[in-house]
Amino acid sequence: MHGNNPLKVLAPADAVPWISRRALLGGFGVVGLSIAASAGLSGCGRSQGFAASAVPNGEVGNQLNVYSWGDYEDPEDIADFEATGVRVQLDSFGSNEELIAKLAATRGTSGYDVIVPTGVYIPQMAANGLLQPLEHALIPNMANLDPEYLDQAWDPGNKYSLPKAWGTTGYVYDTRIIKRELTSWQDFLDAASKEAAGKTAVLEDSWEVVAIYLAAKHHDMNTEDPTLLDAAEDYLVNTLAKNIRAFNSTIVSTGIPQGTFALMQAFNGDARQGMLSSSDPERWKFVFPTPTANLWMDNWAVATGTQHPDAAYAFINHMLTPEAALREVQYIGYHTGAKGLKEAALADKMELPDLVFPPHDVLDRLKSAVLNEAQERRVQILNRMESKAGA
Amino acid sequence: MSKLSRNSVGVAALAFPTWAYLAFFFIIPVALVLWYSFGFKPDLFTAHDNSVLSLDRYFETADPTFLSTFWNTLQIAGVGTLICLLIGVPFAYWLAVKVPSRWRALLLALVLVPFWTNFLVRTLGWQILLAPEGFLSDALQTMHLTTGPLSILYTRAAVQLGVVYNYLPLMVMPLFVAMDRAGASLREASRDLGANRWRTLWQVTLPLAAPGIASGCLLVFIPLMGDYITASVLGGAQGNMVGQLVANQFNSAQNWALGSAMAVVLMIFILLTVAIVGAVILAVRAVLRHNRRVVMDRTDIESAVIEEAAA
Repeated sequence: MHGNNPLKVLAPADAVPWISRRALLGGFGVVGLSIAASAGLSGCGRSQGFAASAVPNGEVGNQLNVYSWGDYEDPEDIADFEATGVRVQLDSFGSNEELIAKLAATRGTSGYDVIVPTGVYIPQMAANGLLQPLEHALIPNMANLDPEYLDQAWDPGNKYSLPKAWGTTGYVYDTRIIKRELTSWQDFLDAASKEAAGKTAVLEDSWEVVAIYLAAKHHDMNTEDPTLLDAAEDYLVNTLAKNIRAFNSTIVSTGIPQGTFALMQAFNGDARQGMLSSSDPERWKFVFPTPTANLWMDNWAVATGTQHPDAAYAFINHMLTPEAALREVQYIGYHTGAKGLKEAALADKMELPDLVFPPHDVLDRLKSAVLNEAQERRVQILNRMESKAGA
Repeated sequence: MSKLSRNSVGVAALAFPTWAYLAFFFIIPVALVLWYSFGFKPDLFTAHDNSVLSLDRYFETADPTFLSTFWNTLQIAGVGTLICLLIGVPFAYWLAVKVPSRWRALLLALVLVPFWTNFLVRTLGWQILLAPEGFLSDALQTMHLTTGPLSILYTRAAVQLGVVYNYLPLMVMPLFVAMDRAGASLREASRDLGANRWRTLWQVTLPLAAPGIASGCLLVFIPLMGDYITASVLGGAQGNMVGQLVANQFNSAQNWALGSAMAVVLMIFILLTVAIVGAVILAVRAVLRHNRRVVMDRTDIESAVIEEAAA
């Protein structure tokens, strides 16, 4: 009985040839390492003791776990990658804090291989050992990226990350209710207390909400000055809050077709998705507000403790092909940072390209958010606004 | 080993699945939450630490945001329970007393039909229904019942509607069982003794259904206080519930210590509310009983017995 197969394991018969001695030893090695790691954890205190990442060995394997923002990859691109024999498990998070928390709490045993953090969080995540340095040699398609989007301040030399998508924050309004032309953050505040009173939505993001006021008054959006933040609190809590109907970062894409709000603070790609699913896109207008707004970038990165590093690199490499980039930009509505993407998208007759490729004068005035000591104060301001609006 | 202790060991062993389940999935998690609530969040990258124990997280929960949200939640839960009761009592009475028994099973099944669908999906369904550009809004405008689009979504009214919809079956089921248990023979006896329909309802059916009413209210009120899905999906700035704050501390802010303290405060408040309402109801019942009691004079009874004997 099964005399020709000396290896007895509980696995499908066709998988048995793959379960080699080397794989078994590798498996034991992982167990050994995690025991060592947990021993290290109890010995060295809380910030030590991450499970070790597997080392790339050229075998892509058949499983990859991706942890990204909700609905942030074109399913066709995922399907294309799965056609190479790797099953992709795609999970989603709603905020960088949630991502960081899951990675930090599990100490490298989250099971996730590829993650998508926002640029400003990368320095702290790297310093706390959550990110695996990238092996650029395994991602040849990074040559397809526009150098303009590489080597950012928060990750010099792209040691830990490569651009996935970038976008900016603005607002979208219903031209049936707000009949005048809005162009600045001051116009946003003005409309929120007039035509759109009680029908305004802002992002549930303390930095973005406080930035509305700071930008409107031509202050530095990243200020740590307590007097400016006090002034921001006074206006936002006592004047703006009562006109706000929702603090929500994800309702723009449904709020536009549902017509629930007249004025919504929004990321450009989300606003575009909402307008495309509206029965009357002409009714809505997106504004890249003056004088400035946030320029943010989400990035591909590999989590510490990854058990499928080859698949992770293969996946990132796949998503950086020009074909995948073109599909991604059309699906999610954010520039992926690929070279010549605008030309390719225009040639492909992409809808509402102006929302994805802002003109140069807009790009020049955008600034990136910084996480600084005043972050807690910003969270406090948002909490007080929510409390006031809910009272 | 005595026979008694042998027997009780045997019974405890038979009940093993139940108490093991309770221990692992209720007592231990609640104890952990309690333990975490005395800890703190050391840095952005660590969710909790219990190396220094303090009550500071409890003082942090006492901020205006938590309190005003808690007050909102209490209102939504209180009003929601009341509406469920007002809809549930007549419906359960009708179902238990008036409906022919062959239809009863079908109607009960219809009450439970919404439970075949996922809670979140049902709530999202209301989002589509209540949208200003949705068909309900269009229909109301076409019939000239409203001027302008429906403006309920992302308000407290939407949350109120959502929770009543989501929790009504939990009220109807125990009410139905209690009303059914009150039984046709007791109602008939009440009428034989001269009580009219209202008096039968108030003095026979409802008092007998009281345990069902109480368990229905608890089944609706307690989970409703901790609900956050309905509020996240249908509520905007004005429909926020305390469950969202707890969830935010665990998910977004990753401050397990503060989240645990909030959860403990929430549990204590729910217990207190239930205890106070329970005490008030018991007091009212005691007063009612005192006022309604019929004092039988001993001489009356004796004379009645004598008369009967004479006859």
